[in-house]
Parts: sequence; C-alpha cells; structure tokens
Amino acid sequence: MPDRILSIAANTFRETIRNKIMYAILAFALLVIGLSYFLADLSVGELTRIIVDVGLACIHFFGVIVAVFIGITLVNQEMERRTVYLILSKPVRRWEFVVGKAAGLSGTLALIVLVMAVVLFLVHRAYGGRPEAGIFIASAGIYMELVLLICLASLFSTFTTPVLSAIFTIAMFLVGHVSKDLLFFGGRSDVPAVRWLSEGVFYALPNLENFNWKNEVVYGKLRSAGVLLNAGSYLVFYGGAVLLLACLLFARKDFK
Amino acid sequence: MPGTDRLVELERVSKSYPAGFWRRRVGILSELSFSVGKNEIVGFLGPNGAGKTTTIKILNHLAIPDSGKVRVFGEEAGQSPEIRRRIGFMPEQPYFYEYLTGGEFLRLCGHLYGMGRGEMNRSVGEMLGRLGLAGAGGKTIRKYSKGMMQRLGLAQALLHDPELVILDEPMSGLDPMGRMEVRNLIRDLKTAGKTVLFSSHIVSDVEALCDRVVMIDRGKKVAEGSLEELVGGGGVQYVELVFSPVPSPARLAAVSLPPDAGSVLGDAYVVKAHDTEEANRLIPRFREAGALVRSCYPVKKRLEDIYMERVARGDGRERAVPPVGS
Repeated sequence: MPDRILSIAANTFRETIRNKIMYAILAFALLVIGLSYFLADLSVGELTRIIVDVGLACIHFFGVIVAVFIGITLVNQEMERRTVYLILSKPVRRWEFVVGKAAGLSGTLALIVLVMAVVLFLVHRAYGGRPEAGIFIASAGIYMELVLLICLASLFSTFTTPVLSAIFTIAMFLVGHVSKDLLFFGGRSDVPAVRWLSEGVFYALPNLENFNWKNEVVYGKLRSAGVLLNAGSYLVFYGGAVLLLACLLFARKDFK
Repeated sequence: MPGTDRLVELERVSKSYPAGFWRRRVGILSELSFSVGKNEIVGFLGPNGAGKTTTIKILNHLAIPDSGKVRVFGEEAGQSPEIRRRIGFMPEQPYFYEYLTGGEFLRLCGHLYGMGRGEMNRSVGEMLGRLGLAGAGGKTIRKYSKGMMQRLGLAQALLHDPELVILDEPMSGLDPMGRMEVRNLIRDLKTAGKTVLFSSHIVSDVEALCDRVVMIDRGKKVAEGSLEELVGGGGVQYVELVFSPVPSPARLAAVSLPPDAGSVLGDAYVVKAHDTEEANRLIPRFREAGALVRSCYPVKKRLEDIYMERVARGDGRERAVPPVGS
C-alpha cells in the first residue's frame, strides 16, 4: 500500500478512534453483550447458545451503525469542512484519498469488532460455554459485511448528501440480506423477463448473506475454509468494484 | 514577461458551476489568461466573488475548467500529482483536522509530500518556529485562534520547501502585526528564489509586495502588468495646491478656476491642478488674489485608483472625482 494511502488511513483511524460517539456505541454494545446472560436466563433454550446468539447479533447491529453513520461522513465531511483542499492539493491521487479513508475506517471497525468478539468470548466462557472459536469466525463474517458497507457508504458519499447516503446505504444493507430471496422467487416465475430481471438485480445488489455465519456458529457448525475463501473473494471483487466506482466519481469531482 | 520561465500559464480558461434547482450553469470565469514567471511575486487582485478562489482551485486541480488550458511547471494541471510536490498551497481560511495537534498535522502533510522522517521532523520544528507556533505544536488545533490557524496554513504550504507558493487570501483574518509578518515572509520567499502567487482583495497588500498584478472582476481579467505599467509613466494623478488665506469670492473669480476645481478647507483653499504646468500657472494668480501657497505636492496614481477605475468601470459604480482639466 503506498505511503500516502497509509498516511490517510492512519489519520482516518485516528479521527474515528478519537470520536467520542464511537466510544459511546462501543460501551453500549459491550454492556448489552455483558447483560446477554440475563436475557438468556429469561429465554427458553440453552443458556450459552443464546449468549452467543445475542452477542453476535449485538456485534452485527452496532457494527452496522458505526459503518453506516461514520462511513457516510467519510468523504462528505472532508468536503463540507474543506479539509479535502489541504489533502488533495498535495501529491495525492484522488483514488488514494478514497481508498485511504475507507481503509482507515475498516481498521477502526476491525478493532471494534475484535474488542466486542473478545468480550463475547469471555462472557460465553464465564457462563460455562466451551472455548468457541466460531465466535471469531462469525465476527470475521460480520466484519467483511461491514467493510462492504463502508465501500457502499463511501460510494454514496462521493455524490450525494449525508442523509441520502445513509438512506441508500441502509437500503443496500436491508436488500443485501434478502437479495437471494429475490433470485429464488424470480426464478420461479414463468415469465423469462422476470427471471432475467431477478438474476440481474441479484448480481447488481450486494449479497450480504454470503457473510452471515451466525446460525452455524450458534449450532456449533464451523464454516469450511472454502466458504470463507468464497466470502473473502466476493468482498474483494464486489467491494473493489464499488470502491472503483467511488474513485471514478470522485476523480471528476469539482470542489466549489 | 521577458527573460522569465513561466511556472503558471492560464490560457482562455472558462469555468461555470451548476446552480439552483434546474442545475443551470452559472459562469464564474470567462476566457481568463495570465501567467506567472519564475521568482516573481504576482498579486491576484479582485473583489469578493470575482473568481480568484476558483482560479486558484483550478491551478491546484481542485476544480476542473470547462475550457482553456492550464499549465503548471509546463505540464497540464492535474495530470501528474508529482507536480504538486513542487507547489505549496494555502486555501482561503484553511480548515484543519481539529482533533490533531499542530505538530501532528504538519507531520501528516510531510508524509503526504513524501518527506523522509528526519527531513520532516527538522522541517516541522523549523516551520513552527518560523511562524511563531513553536509553543503550540503540541496543542490540539481545536484550541488555536484564527491567526494561529492562518499561520499553520502557511506552515503546511511551506513545509516541503516548494518552488511555487500559491496563497489564497493569506492576510485574511490577521491583525496588523500578523499581516506585516506574512508580508515579510512573502518577501523572504522571493529572496530565497521562490515564486509566489497570492490572491487578495486588499489593494495595499498587493501594492506593497508584488512585482506584477493580475486584476480580475466577474471572472474576466481587467488588467495585468507590473505596478509601473499599470499606474502609467511617472504616475502623477494631479497636483494638490494649498493656499491661505482664503481669497474673497471676488478675488477668487479673478483667478478664473474651472468649476469645482477648488474648495475651502478650514482657513485654507485647496486646488487640484491637472499637472505641474497648470500648478505653476495658478500660483502667481493666487498670489495676485492675496493668497500664498502653503504646500504643493503631486498626488501619484496608486494601484487602488487603477483598481477603482477598472472594477468600477465594469460595475457602473461612480469613479473618483476627476481632477482639474480632466
């Protein structure tokens, strides 16, 4: 990674890590994970399994909040505050700026997801669960999904307002978890156009279920290496394409 | 600009931005052409909204022109980011990452300029000291005053010892002492062989510093040249004569002054003569009217007069009161 991307990523990491809202979200997430025992106690079923279930849902939910709401401000805020003038007037290519910003937030999210996963692992152990490596594997899946959301948020923030970026990114998140269903129902249609359309929409929209291994982990089934590799490749290609589009749009951006 | 290398060249550059609900394009620059030669201080002068900042953004590839050619160091602007290593740029009222300290921000800039660690640390210390921020390097920028921010903006522009320095309204928001320091800094840059292009709407700053001036109004160039070229040969606008005591109306009538050429100021009578010849003709006539000359001095044409003429002409605003005979 060129030094300039690293410098921008490190600065973004520093910016987000010094953001007090981030700590509030993290503290709340850790509190919920810590209290999952009481929630599990109220539920019917195996206690430790419900702790993992609630804990992973918590990591997912709070991770998405950070990815979307900080992701949409990544590029936009730099333009609004005009700090972008100071960066892009230096020998920095515009794509390096976009990639650096996304990489910096990805680094912050890696840290947050890791902290939450470790806390969940310890809580799970404290209540008698056996050492569960699946927590980290499922968290890695969640993290990959969050990185894809950062790429999408970066794309939207290059050409629209933060509010619209948030709406678009959340819409992508919601659709991304049902895009496989669209393909399934479209495929059952007798009309060829509907089948092609559903197939087209499926490939154009993100398939975030590729990264969802929470159920397997809860039921003690670890994902095979092939599935992990497949998800990683999907992230690289889909996320890369989204980020490429963001870079192309940003390259022609006029700063008023 | 004979005998100088051109570091910056704009050729018939036009720029417009979409505005309003229908995104209709509003013209900002219209066929603007000028150049900046090596080791010159060029003042880019114009009223607010004239298009100075847009031009400077185009030079730094922050805005893309609709048409025309922009060359910096002989290369098309924006083609190679490496060219920007040779430029130091300070935007108007620079904004910074407020969570960083001044030192951290300068080090970030050093990394982006591709400076080595040793060179960067040395330069950061030197810049903080040179711009009066030596004690503020460890303070978060959030706590900086407006003047300190402006100094930090200058420090980041000069950190890598650039050949060309582009400053957008560098004196904006500074107190008189700060303005003087910036003026001295710009002079020092020229002495060190650097080239400076700076924009301002304050004529006295431009007049005090610049080898050449480019004046724009509403996106169009209205004047370009050295101060001497702009104010004309000698540059005498009129000759002011002060006589006392004030002659009586009957005696004043005998002097036969053109209407509105003179006025009473306290116990003196002030006359604006068109030139020295006219002043020499008037002095004996006033002596005959019983008034002696107390002072006589030529009022030179200043850049501000040129600015008012050129900008006022385009705006339909009234020009300065013309002297006798004009």
